[in-house]
Amino acid sequence: MIADSLIVEKGVSAGDAWVSVAPDSIHTALSGLRDDGYRLLVFLTCVDHLADSSKPTWPGRYELVYQLRNMETREQIRVRTFLDGDPPRIDSVHDLFPPANWDERETYDMFGVVFTNHPDLTRILMPDDWVGHPLRRDYPVGGEVVEFSEEHEVWQTPPPRA
Amino acid sequence: MADATAEGMTDTGTIGQGVTVSRSGEQGAFGGELLTINFGPHHPSTHGVLRLIVDLDGEQVRRLKPVIGYLHTGIEKQAEALRWQQVVVVTDRHDYLSPPFNNLSYALAVEKLLGVDVPPRADALRVIMCELTRISSHLVWLGTSGIELGASTMLMYCFRERDTILDMNEEISGFRMHTSFIRPGGVLADATPRFLDMLDRFCNAMPANIDEYEALLTMNPIFRSRTIGIGRLPAEDAKVLGATGPMLRGSGVAWDLRKAMPYSGYENYDFEIATSDLSDCYGRYLVRIKEMRESVKILRQALDRLPDGPVNIDDRKVLPPPREELETSMEAVIHHFKLFTEGYTVPVGDAYAAVESGRGENGCYVVSDGTHKPRRVKFRSASFVNLQPLERMALNHMVADMVAIIGSADTVLGDVDR
Repeated sequence: MIADSLIVEKGVSAGDAWVSVAPDSIHTALSGLRDDGYRLLVFLTCVDHLADSSKPTWPGRYELVYQLRNMETREQIRVRTFLDGDPPRIDSVHDLFPPANWDERETYDMFGVVFTNHPDLTRILMPDDWVGHPLRRDYPVGGEVVEFSEEHEVWQTPPPRA
Repeated sequence: MADATAEGMTDTGTIGQGVTVSRSGEQGAFGGELLTINFGPHHPSTHGVLRLIVDLDGEQVRRLKPVIGYLHTGIEKQAEALRWQQVVVVTDRHDYLSPPFNNLSYALAVEKLLGVDVPPRADALRVIMCELTRISSHLVWLGTSGIELGASTMLMYCFRERDTILDMNEEISGFRMHTSFIRPGGVLADATPRFLDMLDRFCNAMPANIDEYEALLTMNPIFRSRTIGIGRLPAEDAKVLGATGPMLRGSGVAWDLRKAMPYSGYENYDFEIATSDLSDCYGRYLVRIKEMRESVKILRQALDRLPDGPVNIDDRKVLPPPREELETSMEAVIHHFKLFTEGYTVPVGDAYAAVESGRGENGCYVVSDGTHKPRRVKFRSASFVNLQPLERMALNHMVADMVAIIGSADTVLGDVDR
């Protein structure tokens, strides 16, 4: 189980239990949960809270979300942590949950979150030479150059990428 | 746990863009050098655009690294720019062989946030559409895998039945593949009498059709020698690597979200979890065949017990009013206008909902910031996770067996790349 000293906040969102921890204790927290039977990392992802007015203040711009499941008791828990910085950095958990390897690469690709100690932190969905991280909220939708458009002047000068 | 990953992707190094063949200096077990080849992305057996960087020793696979992203369409980014009810249409398109599962996981997650429950008839229609799609998705898998292993008749047989399912999709929703049938708050429309009639005939005919596939493959010596003992994935490795669906059940683990964490009233249906202890390509084949039979059982029960009543929640803020009300009620016109110009808002929070698709756990994680567009929609796709054990399964097999193994993982590349 996660030691109470690690838990910053806990609650229930739409019926799903969650706890939040500090970013530097994520590896300890998840390894505690794993030893407690939460062996399956269902998914790992990031939420960008840039200009999110649903709360007055956010502990950080990037919220990392780890959904864990205990396949014996069928319980689920969501662990969240908030990050800031450019680039935001956090410990990799691929050694605890092997499926996190690709999930972390995807989160790096899409949000630019750097996972320290990851064995192969490269882009996974976008091309290797891509600039920017598409799922950040300040990355425009439709920022890619569209060829064969009738608006020749527009596509001849590519829009600035985030 | 360590052995599951340590054997694999240790030091492949980087391979330059556009390099198709290169020799590495390492010595193989047969006296020659290892040969690095590029398999795909446009190889017919990769079921889409999957690229594999394979190190071969003679004809045996010594190292394998999947390279994905060739079908990345930015669905999650698009979803953030659409209103809640519009996202349903893009969810259809990631796992394009099983749209109702994608719709359902998204709809369940949004309904969790909205705090609504759909009427029983809507649940039954959702189950019917999901089970039909499970069969059609398995049929595509069976047909294409058959053709890869030399059984070219399979494709003809399987696509014959798949076409009747697509006809039923067309009857109930107007679309043959991307039905967008399941949406937050209910379903698109009630089943027509003709649809129920088609479903009845399908449930009667399908068991004999499955017997036909089995007659061609189950005891076929060529098929058996191509699949038995090929691509073994022990149960413990499957669990550690996060595999779900037939990949996990083919390794003997009886885990099925329909039983383990029931949704949409699956707890009311009588069916068995298909498992096989063989843990190889043949085991996964047996699991999928059994699943098709169980799906027919569920369809028959759903059809016989189809409850009466509405197919949508009675909430004008989430779903449009019926067409006939628009002519008599001013409120209906206002609701209709508001819904299609502004959409609806969803309470602040996040929710995760998962359904058992033909490929495994198809989940959707949605985050709402209280506006009429989602803050984040994340699709937890089964194929993305199920592709990671590929190296574990293909190691030290022949190249031709690798093709059988890719087929037995049943990944849809649209689902992998989203």
